[in-house]
Parts: sequence; C-alpha cells; structure tokens
Amino acid sequence: MVIKKLLLTGGALLLGASAASASGFQVNLNGQKNNGMGGVGVALSLDQAAMFYNPGALAMVRSNGVQVGVNAALARNAFIPESGGGQSQLDNKLVTPVNFYAAFGPKEGKWKVGIGAYTPFGSELHYASNWEGRYALTDINLRSIFAQVTASYAITPQLSVGAGLVMLAYGDVDLQKDVPLSAQSGAPTPHVTLNGKAQKTFGYNAGILFKPSDKLSVGVSYRSQVDAKIKSGDVRLRDVIAATGSNFTATNFAATLPLPATATVGVAIMPNEKLTISADANLVFWSAYRTLDFTFSGNNGYGPNAGLVGGSTTSSAKRFYQDALCFRLGGQYQVTSGLTVRAGGFYDMAAVKDGYITPETPDADRIGLTAGFTYEFASRFGIDGSFLFEDFLKRSQSQADLLNNGTTDRVAGTYKTTIAVPGVGLYVKF
Amino acid sequence: MKFSSNHSLSALALLGLALGGCQPTLDDTRPAANAGPLDFTSYVAVGNSLTSGYSDGGLYNEAQATSYPAILAQQFAKTGKGPSAFVQPSFSTARKDGSGYVKLVNSFVNGVAVAAPVQPSAANSFLGEQVAYTGTNPAFPTELEAYTGSQPDNLGVPGISVLSADRTASSTGNATVDALTRGAAAAYGTLNNFYQRLLPAADRGTKDYVTYIGQKNPTFFSCWMGNNDVLTYATAGGVASASNPFSGLTDTTSFGKGYRNIVAAISKGGSVKGVCANIPNVTTIPYFNTVTVAAVLASYKAAIPTIANIYVTARTSATTTATAARAATATDLLTLTAQAYIAANPGVGTSPAAPIPSQYVLDPIEQTEVANRTTQLNAIIAKTARQNKLALADMNTFFTGIAQQGVVTNAVNNTATFATGNLFSLDGVHPTPRGYALVANEFIRVINSYYGAGIPSVAPNDYRGVLFP
Repeated sequence: MVIKKLLLTGGALLLGASAASASGFQVNLNGQKNNGMGGVGVALSLDQAAMFYNPGALAMVRSNGVQVGVNAALARNAFIPESGGGQSQLDNKLVTPVNFYAAFGPKEGKWKVGIGAYTPFGSELHYASNWEGRYALTDINLRSIFAQVTASYAITPQLSVGAGLVMLAYGDVDLQKDVPLSAQSGAPTPHVTLNGKAQKTFGYNAGILFKPSDKLSVGVSYRSQVDAKIKSGDVRLRDVIAATGSNFTATNFAATLPLPATATVGVAIMPNEKLTISADANLVFWSAYRTLDFTFSGNNGYGPNAGLVGGSTTSSAKRFYQDALCFRLGGQYQVTSGLTVRAGGFYDMAAVKDGYITPETPDADRIGLTAGFTYEFASRFGIDGSFLFEDFLKRSQSQADLLNNGTTDRVAGTYKTTIAVPGVGLYVKF
Repeated sequence: MKFSSNHSLSALALLGLALGGCQPTLDDTRPAANAGPLDFTSYVAVGNSLTSGYSDGGLYNEAQATSYPAILAQQFAKTGKGPSAFVQPSFSTARKDGSGYVKLVNSFVNGVAVAAPVQPSAANSFLGEQVAYTGTNPAFPTELEAYTGSQPDNLGVPGISVLSADRTASSTGNATVDALTRGAAAAYGTLNNFYQRLLPAADRGTKDYVTYIGQKNPTFFSCWMGNNDVLTYATAGGVASASNPFSGLTDTTSFGKGYRNIVAAISKGGSVKGVCANIPNVTTIPYFNTVTVAAVLASYKAAIPTIANIYVTARTSATTTATAARAATATDLLTLTAQAYIAANPGVGTSPAAPIPSQYVLDPIEQTEVANRTTQLNAIIAKTARQNKLALADMNTFFTGIAQQGVVTNAVNNTATFATGNLFSLDGVHPTPRGYALVANEFIRVINSYYGAGIPSVAPNDYRGVLFP
C-alpha cells in the first residue's frame, strides 16, 4: 500500500530566544556602569553609554571618550515536566554580550556626536539531549549586534536632546529541534536546524534630559522597534528517514522576528557631589510579537514537492506577548577620587503570558540585584566592574493551559532560571 | 569587529562560576507517588490482543515490552507497593519476533522512497524476522513456540472474546449453537495459537480462559475484554464465518453471562480491587478509515476516466443478511485489507457485475449494528464494574476523542491517521507503543480518580510511534 501523503505533524518550528537578562529575549547589559546600578540610565550622564540609554544625555557627558565592555552571562535553567521524567537542565554555555562606545565634541561645547555598538537582544540555550521538549526545541542561538550613530545637543545648560540612527548591523539565528519520527534502522531521531542571517534594517532612538539643578535630573527616551527579517535562511536536515523524505524537501526559510520598541522615563537625585541615586521605568512593547511564522522553500530532491518541512510549507506558532514593565533602582557613591562603588536592583515583568511559555524563551517575572565599581587613574583611564544576579520566579504551565490556549506546540511543566553576569569595561577619556 | 563571541573569557568565566555557578534546582512539587488503598504486589492483566501488547499485526517481544500492562506495572512500582516483577509470556530470544509483524518497506518511484506495509510470510522469509512458528504440527500450522515459564501476570490473549473465554457463556437459546460454542470455548486452547502456547498440552482441549485466569491470585487486576465480541465481525466487513462460532456479534445474554464470570474469576468474587475497560467504537480506527471509496474511485479514474462509481456488495436491509451489489457511497467503510484485495484483483469494484466483496465493506447497516451492540455490551461492562465496586476506564470515550482531535504530547501531535498518526500500528487496529503509553495513562488517570491513588503517568514521547524505513 502506498502511503500517499505522510502528513507528519509535530508542532511548528519555533523562533525566539532567552538566557536574556530582561523580559522576553532582551539583553540589558549595554553599559558597564549602568550594569552595576540595576540598569538605570535614562536620567544619567555617566559615560558614553548614554547614547544607548538616553541619547539626549550624551551632550551632558563632561568628557570625550572611548569605552568597551564585555559581559559573561551564565544562565542556569531547570525544567520539570508535568508528566513523566525528572528534572532536565541546560548544557550551560557562556554567552558574552559586548558593548562599545566612542563620543566626542568640543570642550565645553554644546554638542556631542558618537558611535556605538551593543547587543540589546540575544539568547543562547542548549537543552540536554532527550529532554521532554526536544520536539519543540533542542537549541537556540539568537544574536544581534546593533550599531548606532548619535548626535546630542544641549539647548540650555539644563536641557539637552539627542537622537540616534540605529542599525541592526548583524543578526543571526540558529534553531534546532528533533522531529518526532522513528527509524526502523534505529538511526538517530531526525533533526532540523534553521540557520539564517537577518537583513540589515534601521531604527532610531531619541531622548531628552532635563537637569533643573545640580541635585536633580529627569530623562525620557524611546527606542524604536526593529524587525529582524530573515529572507533566505538555511534549512538543514539530519537523519531524515527515507520513507518520509518527500515531506522534508525544504532548503530555505523566511521569517521575521520583531525586536520591540522601548520607552523609558527616569529620575536621578544627587544629594551631594559624591552620591547619585536613580530610578527608571521601562515599558517594552512586546505585544508587537504576535505569531512566529515560517515560510519554507527550495527542494533538496528528497521528494517531488518543494518547500516542505514536516509536510507543510509554512508554520505558525502563537506568541501573543504582552507589553512588559520593568522598574529599576540604582546608585553610586564616590569613595575616593579614584574609586566609585555602585549597587542596584530591578523587577522585570514577563513578556510571555501564562500558558504561552516556550522552551526558547522560558520567560518569567524576575528580580535582579547588581553591584559594580569603577577605578580611575590619572583622571583619564578607568576600569569598570559589574556583577548582576538575576532570579526568575518559578513558572509552570499545565497541559490543560496549553490545550485551552491552542499552544500545544510546547511542553507542560515548570521552568526555573537564574543568570549570573560578571562584566568588565575599560575606558579612556580625553 | 566581533562583538559577541563564545570564546572562553577565562577570568570572567571563573568569576562567574564562582559567584553564580550554582544550578537552580526545582523542588519537584508534583504529588509523590502513592498507591492509596491499593496493593500492587501481584498485578494481573486480563484481556485480549490489546492487553497482550499486540501491535503491527503480531505479538512479539518488543511490542510485549511496551504493552499497557507492562507500563502500568512499571508505574505501579513507583508507589512502593508495586510488583517486584511483572511476568509476560515472552518468546525465547532466538524467536523474539513471535508471530511476526508488519513492516513498512520502501519502494522507489522516480527516486523517491515510498513506504508500503508488508505482511511477513514464509514466501518473503518473514521479512528476516525471527518468528516463533514451530512448523512441526501439520494439524495446526500456526502453532507457536510454547511458553514454558510460570503462569504470566499479563494474561492477554490475542483474538479472545468474552464468548470464547467462558465455556458456559453461550446462551442464545439455540441448543445446537450453544453446545457448539461452549465446546469451542472449552477447547479454545486448540483453536487459538496464542492461547495454545500458554497452556500445558494436557489442558489445551479442556481449560477455558475463565478457568485459566482463576488460577491467579492477584492483589489488583485490570480487565479489558469484549472488543473481539464486536471487532471480529466488524473487521470481517460484517460477515460471520459459518465455521467459526466466535465470528459474529456476541448477543447480550451470552456476553453478560461470560463477562460476569470473567470478572468473578479474576476478582475472586468481587473481593479484589481492579479496573475494567470498555469497548471503543471500532469504526473510528484507521482499519476502516484509510482506504476510502473516494480514493479507490480516484485510482480507477486514472485508467478509466469515465468511471462514475465503484460498486460494493452491501446489505439490503437491517432485518436480513441478504446482500446485493450497489454503487458505493462515502458512508461505506472499506477495510484496510481491501487495498491488497483490489491490487490483486484489478478491476474489482468497477461494475455491478464485479463488486468489492462484502467482507471488505462495512456498510452503514452493519455500522449501526456494530455501534448498537457496542453500546449494549458497554452497558453490561459498566454495570458489572459498578456491582463489583471496580473502576471503569471509558476507552470508548477516550478513543472517540483521539479519533476526533488526536492527542498532543509535549509538542508531538498524535492522531488516528494510519501510520503517520503514530498512535495506531500498521495493522490499523492496535496501538503503537506510544498509543499503549496513552492507554496506560488513561488507566492511571481512572485508577487515581476512583481509588484516590497517586500513580505517576508516563511521558508518551518516550515510546515510539510507527517505525519508518
């Protein structure tokens, strides 16, 4: 008998990300000084990283300078399935988001321009082989590098504005999962890898800093959404079973992932010259992320019909993210002329709704605690150190939740994640 | 410029490991396994092919290892009150493939692999399988290697019905029929090769199944009987064989008597706790929904563009067994075996003069008969379970749900579709190991709810679906 149509089902392929240090697959590690202060920055003009946190504040940064920072994010993740099996973990990997900024302007001038590069979104997770969710996801590596040119202008000594042109300079994604088919020969489970590079796309950011006195400043900033568009990524197939080959003919895929807009307001108080305390609130417009859709194309010759993965030329998975708020508080104190110490914390709310948690973004409400320091010598060179520990609240979803939401392309169970991120930065100012 | 890399930044990494290297551990908040009031020290499973682990048209060691009773025993053991061993009547290692099983075999059409199920037989050297046919008994050519161990805990016998299990069951009111049927049930060990291999040679002509299961002293049992009292008739296209007293639809009187005797025998008169399961709706299985009238018509259209109908032999009325040829409609269910028959008899079904024979067609009259009888027998099962204070697994509702919407297990969509649905094996009737895992989970759900136990369920994805070449 001929099995005419092997409609191999098994959930849509997923795209997304985590090990991220902020809601969804955001990474808020874009300035080493800010990292030590709970991630505040919109009301501050600490250093050249202001062009990320609030381009309006750049003109208020006293010196010109160049700085580079690197962070080592170590995510730890545990999962217990609703039925069967015990706890599974991630194969832990080190992820190293980097930031770089350079800005200059005339001494005592009213304007400043700068360039920067940073990684505001990203994620890398590798689940243990044979974990319960392997047919949803085994591995994800999402990387993005943004480049920015910024101009900032102090209209008065109290008020400055700024804007940046932001480019998604580099983005790539690597998603892998097992295919729920078994081979007579006992060959390994078939495996699909989607790997593609995003097109370069542009966005912007803008901000205002208002500093009515030496003791108070307030800031607002906005960063636009950028869509990571993958026009022609590679579909790589491993261990496809001959009899099912005609359902796995795709060689390419297209997908779009929204990297959402963020609005931030913040306030900082400086009771004396040595102490700064600041609070920020971020609103990330994650609700732009509705569904994750893939379109497959090409033919590898396994069968007559082109563009099939699991018998289908498209796949669509529900995301339905919600806008997420984050509250941050941080401070710094100048101990000596060379040493400044910092501390802070934040409460970041989940972008992923209950019953919609996917293995690639085991998102949850989370609490972060930070500490940091700067040691500066010769009033010119400095080293920044920062440390962040983030604790995700435990999050569960049941099979019943998944059925109710029509999100059975993921697994029922309980996730728990912690992340530790030490970071170091170097700067020179002139 | 490279802004992100995986190169080990050793100093940073060390700092990170020192400060944040602790792996979060989740307290397993799932309820601890507990047996409630149940004692699984000796768990015994009574039933037919579904209980034996029969899959892909055969009984073989690999399938037996993933029978739902084996999975249940494994899960029962997690309560600490479980069986230390659950004995299954396995075949010897050199004959591990038992009765042999259907496999998908590739053929290549324009270089593209197309899989088709192939039945093992002497002609194809049993597809290389290590079958257990003795080949030494000319009077019983299907004789299988005898099972010589102690009486197993899995007492599932492929093919057995309630009517054939109890030598006192048949009560049709027709003395001749009853005498013949009762005699056949008593001598069932000489008729069914799977039952024969379980019995000592001396018992084969005399020991009926009710007596055989009565030898066990379980502390807990499952009983899933009755399927073959409707299924044998249905899979034969609603044609009862004159030479086989167990090939019709079992009447309710005989069934009631037999079923009560079976439950009494295994429950020791109602004193042992257990679970009964009822009969699924047989017309939703892939066996009746893979070869469709439309597909057969379409395949003939390629050769005969003018063909408008295919013809089947169908019952003419509900009150008579008389049949006649007529044009088939979408409501006629063709059996999975019809495809091979049509392939071997080209042109069959293209005209009223050469209709597809009745045994390959379950027409709407027969479907109604089967459905009505299933409902009646399920009422008897439910009543017997209630009277003996036994849990009842409603497999009829469970399988209807699977047929309608499938089951998604950890991102894997399983459906009732033949082969690719992953729940039903290549015979179109019996589950795959994954299907049996879902059956086991349904039993566990029912046992937990009825007895207030906390037996953990299994992860169905740990069990395979259909194997593809």
